Amino acid sequence: MNPAEDSAIVPGRPASLASIMEYISVAEQTAAGAGIPVRFTFLRNFTVEGIEPYLKYHCLLSGLKPDIVFGNYDMVRQEILDKTSHVHALPSDIIVAALYLETYVPERGRCDWDAAAVMGDLSGLYTDLAANTAAIIAVNTFIPPFHSDLGIASSGELPSRYLEVLRLNQLIREFVRSNPARFILVDWERFVRLLGEDESLDYRFWYMSKAPFKKGFLDLYARELVKIARALKGKAKKCLVLDCDNTLWGGIIGEDGLQGIKLDMHSYPGNVFYGFQQQVLALHDRGILIALCSKNNEADVWEVLDNHPGALLKREHLAAWRINWRDKAANLKELAEELNLGLDSFVFVDDNSTECGLVRDLIPDVTVLQVPAKLYTYPLLLASDGLFDTLSLSGEDRRRSQMYREEAGRRHEQAKYETLDQYLASLALAITVHPARTDEVLRIAQLTQKTNQFNLTTRRYSEAQVAALVADPSRAVISLSVRDKFGDSGLTGVLIARNDDGYGTIDTFLLSCRILGRNIEVAFVLRALELMEESWRISSWQASYVPTQKNQQVAGFWPLMGFAEISCQEGHACYELPGNAPRREPIPYIVIEKE
Amino acid sequence: MQFQEHKLKEVLARIFNVSIDTITADASPDTIENWDSLRHMNLVLALEEEFGVDLTDDQVVEIISYKLIKIVLQEHGIAFI
Repeated sequence: MNPAEDSAIVPGRPASLASIMEYISVAEQTAAGAGIPVRFTFLRNFTVEGIEPYLKYHCLLSGLKPDIVFGNYDMVRQEILDKTSHVHALPSDIIVAALYLETYVPERGRCDWDAAAVMGDLSGLYTDLAANTAAIIAVNTFIPPFHSDLGIASSGELPSRYLEVLRLNQLIREFVRSNPARFILVDWERFVRLLGEDESLDYRFWYMSKAPFKKGFLDLYARELVKIARALKGKAKKCLVLDCDNTLWGGIIGEDGLQGIKLDMHSYPGNVFYGFQQQVLALHDRGILIALCSKNNEADVWEVLDNHPGALLKREHLAAWRINWRDKAANLKELAEELNLGLDSFVFVDDNSTECGLVRDLIPDVTVLQVPAKLYTYPLLLASDGLFDTLSLSGEDRRRSQMYREEAGRRHEQAKYETLDQYLASLALAITVHPARTDEVLRIAQLTQKTNQFNLTTRRYSEAQVAALVADPSRAVISLSVRDKFGDSGLTGVLIARNDDGYGTIDTFLLSCRILGRNIEVAFVLRALELMEESWRISSWQASYVPTQKNQQVAGFWPLMGFAEISCQEGHACYELPGNAPRREPIPYIVIEKE
Repeated sequence: MQFQEHKLKEVLARIFNVSIDTITADASPDTIENWDSLRHMNLVLALEEEFGVDLTDDQVVEIISYKLIKIVLQEHGIAFI
């Protein structure tokens, strides 16, 4: 069996361990192993090493190159406090605090502990960890006992271990909810609910080697950790592209007509498609872009979206569409261009295996999902694999679809003008540029994690790292917000720089793809340099371009801004702009709003 | 039944991430550096998966060489000749 094909969307039984190990060994020796590096450090009080093959496997499948470090057995507290321990010596992207209740509260079997006291202790531990590292911290809930201590009796006087674990889990969830920037919940309680006792707990290796989990549990644990890594490393999908016939509804609109297609709340199979549309809308509400790519007459499709009583998905939810009779690979490429997104941020859903195969062959970057043969599993298709997951959700995410619709208005307007400059001038562009405020840190970290195209150095930062940069007087984190007559695009650009005794270095410069093509980047850089020079005496500015597969469009950016290429040892292109050198002319039609 | 012999070697090679040539008849933790107590758990799991057997507690502890694995698998009715 080819384990890659077994990477089921609905987590099923994982592939056999031997075939997973074979996949890893092959991938590590070939190009498939050359992914984005990500380091996990486990702080743990039980034998968790068994997760290694599953974690490597799911990382490699996601284009990540994992480095996995295990802390010493049951030394969590010491390793957090000891500044020379590997937790501090080797900075990690994700620290997994893997705590097993049996070891953490040895008296657990008797239940003379209470949830609030254990939580007090845990939150101290987690807070120390957050204060002393910059990593994302994954914390787990605990596993409630599967069997009652009191038999069938209930007693108001005797403590119940079961209720106490539930209470503790609730406290952990609340702790994570109130610290969403640093902590991600890995909900073991949900894992065991999904898998059951027999698939989760390995009593044999628990008693023999302090390794409590079976393969199914370890696989699920690994999948959840890889979702975090994917989100952190800019691998989250951004756009869902849907076929229509037998994908958004059952049947073919061109043949079955509005009355004939299957799409309703109450009867099979219409209710399956209805359930799928609910999932699509939930993604839309999280800020995922929805697009259509269908071989159909456009009017027939609008007829369903506008007039079918079961259609939840409406025209206003769509960021773009290609409804025509051309090949889908070409249409997807156009959609990527129109939306200014990389094809690797697309997920495409179609019922037709030929169409799916065509897209897989011609555009391997697109994640292709076929409507499952077991149609009743279809509503779960998008729910379980975390393809679109981001580390946090900000207000910008919720507004994103609206902003893309405003963008469509701009495109329409563009057709009315003869020159691009005339059109740009008609937009009444205004930008605000200022040192990042603390309430902008989340959004800035998100932009560094997600922006691939207009990103000169593609350095990813966690929220904690951005917060630290903002607080450091030798660093500047500058944010850009843009609006025009169609609406407000929000915080869509970031520049990060540092000052080493009068030598300024631009560490990060990026713009969200939805504001490209308006010379905003030029106005932003000019204003940001000006702002920094108000508080720093800078004799020269340095900047660099670190090429990736996605950012060729900005290869020539610094020379355009008047920077001259210089030689450097960084292994990428470096540029310099003396502090007193003449600057580029400002863009006449962009107003700089000062606060 | 060369087939089972080869399959066993392949399982060991994958679990310990070594080339199949290193899995000789006298393979053991002394000859394979990666054969530590943690990977031993993976070995047990993989043997159970690949050969469809359930090892007893004693067998889990016993199988610390290629020869001993073969003997235990034979006890479960896997033929190697």
